[in-house]
Amino acid sequence: MGADIVTVSTDTQFTHLAWQRSEKELANVKYSMGADPTGTVSRMFGVYNEENGLDLRGTFLIGPDGKLMGMEMNFYNLGRNIDELMRKFKANIYMMKKGGNEVCPSKWKDEGDKTLVNPGAKMVGKVHEALQGS
Amino acid sequence: MAETMTAGLRLGQRVPDFELITYEPTKGDFGKFSLKDQIANKRWTILFFYPADFTFV
Repeated sequence: MGADIVTVSTDTQFTHLAWQRSEKELANVKYSMGADPTGTVSRMFGVYNEENGLDLRGTFLIGPDGKLMGMEMNFYNLGRNIDELMRKFKANIYMMKKGGNEVCPSKWKDEGDKTLVNPGAKMVGKVHEALQGS
Repeated sequence: MAETMTAGLRLGQRVPDFELITYEPTKGDFGKFSLKDQIANKRWTILFFYPADFTFV
């Protein structure tokens, strides 16, 4: 899909290596594991917790032009839903392909699902009709 | 840089260039991630921050 996943924590690359090799759940990992022991990158994205030196559960989607296209942040006690991450990611790729005059509503899941084309003055108060395709 | 950018980034904003030293499980070796390279190669990036290794993610 033309994307690279990079996981980031404030651990070093050496710890990443040791963790990936010892934890069987990570045996088939394909993504890069980024090391940010100084917290520089984590601070830039606003996920660094100065009190304990640990990152919050933040996910960021960066487009091929370097623009920030999506972000989600959860506190420590809530895991992320990978389906929702993939939905947002697919939607962003789809919209970029369509050149900017189509938008994906909340229920959009995959190509072929209903989108809103050329949202503008004519659609104000008529989103229901637009979603019904009338 | 770090001192001036603790507030986080805004959506739609161009992300300032950054680099990370990585561990690459597919190669069993260390590597480098650079946003500049991603832009040059027209690649999307998903950054996934988490608290710590050896915990549940």
